Amino acid sequence: MVPWVLVGAVVGYGLVRVFVGHPTPPAGLGRLGRGEAAFVAAAADALYPPGGAVPPSGCEAGIPGYVDRYLDRVPPQTRGLMRALFFLMQHATLFFPAPGPTGFRRFSSLDHDQRVAVLSGWATSRFFPRRFAFTSLRAVLTMGYFADPEVLRRLGLAPYAFETPVCEADLLYPPIGSPPEAIAHRPEDVSRPSAPPPPLDLDGPLHPDYREPAGARP
Amino acid sequence: MSAAGSGEVRVFAQYDRDFTEQADVVVVGSGPCGSVVAKELACAGRDVVLLEEGPPFTPADFVLDGATSMARTMREGGLRATRGTVMPTMQAIALGGGSLVNSAICARAPDFVLDDWCERFSLEATTRRDLDPHYDAVEKFLGIAPTPDAVQGQRNLLFRDGCDALGWSSEPIARNVRGCRGSGECFTGCRARAKQSMDVSYVPAAIRAGARVLTSLQVQRVLSDGRRVTGVEGQVVAPFRGSPSHRFRVDARCVVLAAGCMATPVILQKSDDLANGSGQVGENLQFHPGVSIMGVFPDPVSPQFGATQGYQSLQFIRDGFKLETLWAPPGVLATRLPGFGHALKHTLAEIPRAAVWDAIASTHRSLGRVRARRGSMDPALTWHLHPEDVPILRHALAVIAEIFFAAGAEKIVPGVHGLPEVMHDRDEARVLGSGSYGGKALTFASTHAFCTTRMHGDPRQGVVDELGRSHDVENLYITDTGTYPRCTSVNPMFTGMALAHRTALHLAERL
Repeated sequence: MVPWVLVGAVVGYGLVRVFVGHPTPPAGLGRLGRGEAAFVAAAADALYPPGGAVPPSGCEAGIPGYVDRYLDRVPPQTRGLMRALFFLMQHATLFFPAPGPTGFRRFSSLDHDQRVAVLSGWATSRFFPRRFAFTSLRAVLTMGYFADPEVLRRLGLAPYAFETPVCEADLLYPPIGSPPEAIAHRPEDVSRPSAPPPPLDLDGPLHPDYREPAGARP
Repeated sequence: MSAAGSGEVRVFAQYDRDFTEQADVVVVGSGPCGSVVAKELACAGRDVVLLEEGPPFTPADFVLDGATSMARTMREGGLRATRGTVMPTMQAIALGGGSLVNSAICARAPDFVLDDWCERFSLEATTRRDLDPHYDAVEKFLGIAPTPDAVQGQRNLLFRDGCDALGWSSEPIARNVRGCRGSGECFTGCRARAKQSMDVSYVPAAIRAGARVLTSLQVQRVLSDGRRVTGVEGQVVAPFRGSPSHRFRVDARCVVLAAGCMATPVILQKSDDLANGSGQVGENLQFHPGVSIMGVFPDPVSPQFGATQGYQSLQFIRDGFKLETLWAPPGVLATRLPGFGHALKHTLAEIPRAAVWDAIASTHRSLGRVRARRGSMDPALTWHLHPEDVPILRHALAVIAEIFFAAGAEKIVPGVHGLPEVMHDRDEARVLGSGSYGGKALTFASTHAFCTTRMHGDPRQGVVDELGRSHDVENLYITDTGTYPRCTSVNPMFTGMALAHRTALHLAERL
């Protein structure tokens, strides 16, 4: 009897440590669960802390929202692998604790220095799969960081605006998901340039999606 | 021969029931090879149906964010990887195939590669002399030309300067482009409509000539009646999500598989292991693993301007690698930068002064296989980097480092685990070539895949002959990079199109 009670207590404690007590995730997340959102936010700010050479932090750059949308776009099998990766890295510290007396907690409950120490361990591990897991996580979060127009503007790498000429193909294909009636162009719209177009103007305006919002901070 | 019909393109929104089509020829896959076959046969008056699993993309459908773009234009969300040696690889799913999202490099296979193919694989008519007329035809149609200086941008010209300083050859890359503005957006779809990807070149020409282009159709089986193929069947799939709806069948006198090196073997395996008397379907998988280095210069480089890949060097092609310049969406490039936290941010802030140069390696000893998965048309890929091929990659990294420092870089970020994250001079970088690090220390990827339905003069050792004709089954042809008996050592698209052109002329005569 006593051993079963002990086993039950340990299992119950483990379940509480894994599944209970996550902070409420930001509104608007559809795919990420509470624990996943907490992990992604913690990892995003550990990888991209506030300030420094590119000021926005991972969370300020909207990485959790980006990952949430990205999960929605990838095939189910890939989505499962990404979720497994988040779960693994979130809870690995319950078995291999972070430095310090409070290190025996899931990743998102650690303080910043502990998170950095844990990620550093993954990044420099001699065990290739562990290193690969870190590289995969960093790849997903980095792509999310660079999806933020503010980050690209700060780096001077935001795409430019330029006119897209109309070609014969634009008379054939509707936008994805639409029927042929949605084709907007007619034969007379087809561009017939008399000279090669000029190279991109680096002093020209940015693509509308990447322009500074009106009233943004300087 | 049937009269060619009236050309059309059909999209997902138009399918509302199961259907059957008839044609002289059904071509599976609208990438560079399939599009050439469809256009040439339609122009020869044959009734052609061209099938594509992906949708046509309009400029309004392009997304500039790299990862989102990959998730929309690539199979498996752009996150496909091999097992064995884990290596990211990709295959496009869009009208035009990979040409929609590649950097438009058009390189003829070197003479020594074609000679090697002929010698080792009992081929008699695949020499330079045999293929040049086909290369010429494709080159003329697409307006392939060397990248002009006006759109090279600093990061490409610095590569040239570095090679010049070392006395190594280099040249502007020939591309299928008309009116490039140097936006560096090849990988997310050309907003300038300059790249002559198949969806804006060969496919419209095929439609003009009467071909029917049916998109959002996933071919699952080749139908056969004894030793003759009779058509293909499959299902309508929704763009991006791939959710199935109606069934379709195309009855045809001839089937041309051009679904790509990683998909064609799966279709054959799912067709009761069709055309596999040799046992070579899905075997011999080869890649061009690519390694790259970011170099930081003292002055701004403005790397976002310039042809995506504008310069190359064939100086070391016989040593097993080709050198190129490279640009990609910044988020994709940044995934390979080392470290995290403020150190990583500091490195990111240096990208405006940086260039990225890469090498693609001919790793003939590194082989793998493609296998069908149960319940999916996605392939299971296994591939192993052979230890004897690792020195090629080490050599390539050492050479790229040399070029960077010769071009005036103040430091490089090589991305090799266990070595310094940043190197400041040639002496420090020497370890890249002389070190004993293994494949797992390297970060590499490949978008060039080959050999899974290889051509061979001996039917016991290959799947198709030099014309792409199946050794086992009548009226079945394969024309994609799977038919290459070995990798090309250079970017494979142009050679695939030349071989497809040859196959098309043969079929036009025969049908």
